[in-house]
Amino acid sequence: MNKILKIIKREFLTKVFTRGFLIATVLGPIFIIAIMLAPAYFMTVTGKQPLTIGVVDYAQIVQEQLAAAFNDTLKNGTLRLNFAPLSTEDYTHQPDKYKAQVDEGALNAILIIPANVLDSARVTYIGKTVSDLDLMQRLKTGITGILNNERLRRAGLDPVRVKELTGSVKINSMKIEKGEAKARGFDEEYLSALVFLFILYMTIIVYGSSIMRSVIEEKTSRIVEVLLSSTNSFQLMMGKLLGVGAVGLVQYIIWAAMAGAAILAATSSMPGISDAVQFSPSILLYFILFFVIGYFTFSTLYTAVGAMCSDMQDAQTLSTPVTLFIVLPFMISFTVIRDPTTDLAQILSFLPFFTPLIMFVRILIVQPPAWEILTSVLINLLTIVIIIWLAARIYRVGILMYGKRPTLPEMIKWIRYK
Amino acid sequence: MVDADFKIILYSAMINTNTDMTSLIVDNVSKSFNSFQAVDRISFSIENNRLFGLLGPNGAGKTTTMRMIMNIIVPDSGTIKILGQLFHEKLKNRIGYLPEERGLYPKMKLLAHLQFLGEMKSMSSAVAKKTASEWLERFELESWADKRIHSLSKGMQQKVQFIGAIIHSPDLLIVDEPFSGLDPINTKFLKDILLAMKKQGKAILLSTHLMDQAEKLCDGICLIDKGRVVVQGDIADIKKKYSRNSILLEYHGDAEFIKKLPYVQSLNDYGNYMEIRLQDQADPRQLFGALAESGLPVKKFEISETSLNEIFIDLVGGDGK
Repeated sequence: MNKILKIIKREFLTKVFTRGFLIATVLGPIFIIAIMLAPAYFMTVTGKQPLTIGVVDYAQIVQEQLAAAFNDTLKNGTLRLNFAPLSTEDYTHQPDKYKAQVDEGALNAILIIPANVLDSARVTYIGKTVSDLDLMQRLKTGITGILNNERLRRAGLDPVRVKELTGSVKINSMKIEKGEAKARGFDEEYLSALVFLFILYMTIIVYGSSIMRSVIEEKTSRIVEVLLSSTNSFQLMMGKLLGVGAVGLVQYIIWAAMAGAAILAATSSMPGISDAVQFSPSILLYFILFFVIGYFTFSTLYTAVGAMCSDMQDAQTLSTPVTLFIVLPFMISFTVIRDPTTDLAQILSFLPFFTPLIMFVRILIVQPPAWEILTSVLINLLTIVIIIWLAARIYRVGILMYGKRPTLPEMIKWIRYK
Repeated sequence: MVDADFKIILYSAMINTNTDMTSLIVDNVSKSFNSFQAVDRISFSIENNRLFGLLGPNGAGKTTTMRMIMNIIVPDSGTIKILGQLFHEKLKNRIGYLPEERGLYPKMKLLAHLQFLGEMKSMSSAVAKKTASEWLERFELESWADKRIHSLSKGMQQKVQFIGAIIHSPDLLIVDEPFSGLDPINTKFLKDILLAMKKQGKAILLSTHLMDQAEKLCDGICLIDKGRVVVQGDIADIKKKYSRNSILLEYHGDAEFIKKLPYVQSLNDYGNYMEIRLQDQADPRQLFGALAESGLPVKKFEISETSLNEIFIDLVGGDGK
């Protein structure tokens, strides 16, 4: 155990006190935010024009509250969304007339609220384009808020009182006010999620490939057999994983502190901006937690790959499947950001390899129940134990093997060696 | 490399051996990789105060045997006892190991690196650092203490590697081909440390494929080939037992005719140096006469003890002629 600590210490000290670490820690998030900000800003500036939406409200609950719910304005101060009430009777008899109006552009869209909306929780949106996911999301949350308030009222509860008493409802109200807070109109919820996601994704890959490189370096510099005369391969592997992991953790803690300080500074200098800030401190803790999970899942795999290879070219080929398992969740997470409530998102968020990104996105955007988070974490911890066990067996044989990298049957044999 | 002082030291050390403690017992150990039998029922033992050579050509199973002693590879069968105990992790603190392919972390600083290697043998940080400094001083490397390993010359790195293996003053030292790639100065440096350690009562196992080196340095040897023990025991006993009627000849020119002499059993021709083995009953003077008659320019004619190399070739049926 003492020797693991020595290995951790060496790994940590040789990696933390480097210029590379300093630069990555300080400039990394700035760089990522800059990359994210440019297209997001570009996208939102050009994309938003005032819209007129015809509302057919069979339920007679939603329509009169829409204006209050969607009071965000454009740069010039006009309302972004204008709701025109349409007669339910006319619409029932001549739906085509209104659809034609949409087609001609007199209306941008028609929103149909069925009579049983409180139970079905479904509304219909008919528009020329339905691809404005931001608008869809806005409508969804706005109408959900209205319906929720109505349900509360019907249950004999005062929505205002409930809002005061429950945190999540309070966040909903912030969301509605968000339009005012950010007059420039870009979607900070989406943006901050993307920034977190990018950092998570990048660091998992960077730390994973760095640990892989370091395993190969130890092989090629032939230090590994010297070390094995003092310790065993498991301690060596764990020391490396934990040591490099500690470096990552320190980096994350610095970033979390930076983010916290930035929020603090922003809110104290510009009151009101706190509404625009989408994450609470607990998000920062999740951020660290899912980095740790992702780190151990992938870095352990990268360690095994490194142990199997004798040079970086080999390693690049062999690490592709591992990298794929991090790229895939990253790709999927973009759709999850837009709608984290799909079955796919929910299932994937429990799957090892997917959890670190997908569950994190879900937490960022819709707070899933605590048991779901806990279950996914437990599943992943179990997976990590299994991966470590497998990797340790590959590592043990691999670090002393040079030359040709093993075939799959050979690898299985390695795992089964006593 | 023949060193008169060295032999005196060697023999005096042998006389001083007065303990019967066995530092290493390798008992009937086997290991195969897939269908390849790397080590086949090898047994030998080393008392402390002894320098023991594990000899054999490349691929004989020397490195595999050493790795099994270090428990880096687990034997298929047989037992290994180190310092009287079966392997357990803590024993590593009492063993020094210098593998054939040895490395260092190129980006670490010299002193910090040695300190780390000491710490890995469970030395406290302070003691490891102090010991590392002492060694650096002894080998005039102290001005390099804060330099990174990659800025050191190859020769310096070899010294550092060796210091790393003995920094914790191990009771059993295992060195795999310690002299390969060393220049004469570092060879002497290493040899001196090995002998000094032996004098301190440590047991040393070294492997080499260079027979003449082992012959000069080791007290006992175990000669292996293709994973099997060919011969083992004290060098003196082995040489006595397998001694042949041998001549060392240094010459210039064409000595082909010697091969055809009827009383020459075999020879090993190096071009201008030749090891000739006569048939058991032959008289060396016969050869001397033949050489004089031939007019071959002879620089040296020596009736010699059979070298370990010759014994080895005899025993494994190598290409002696």
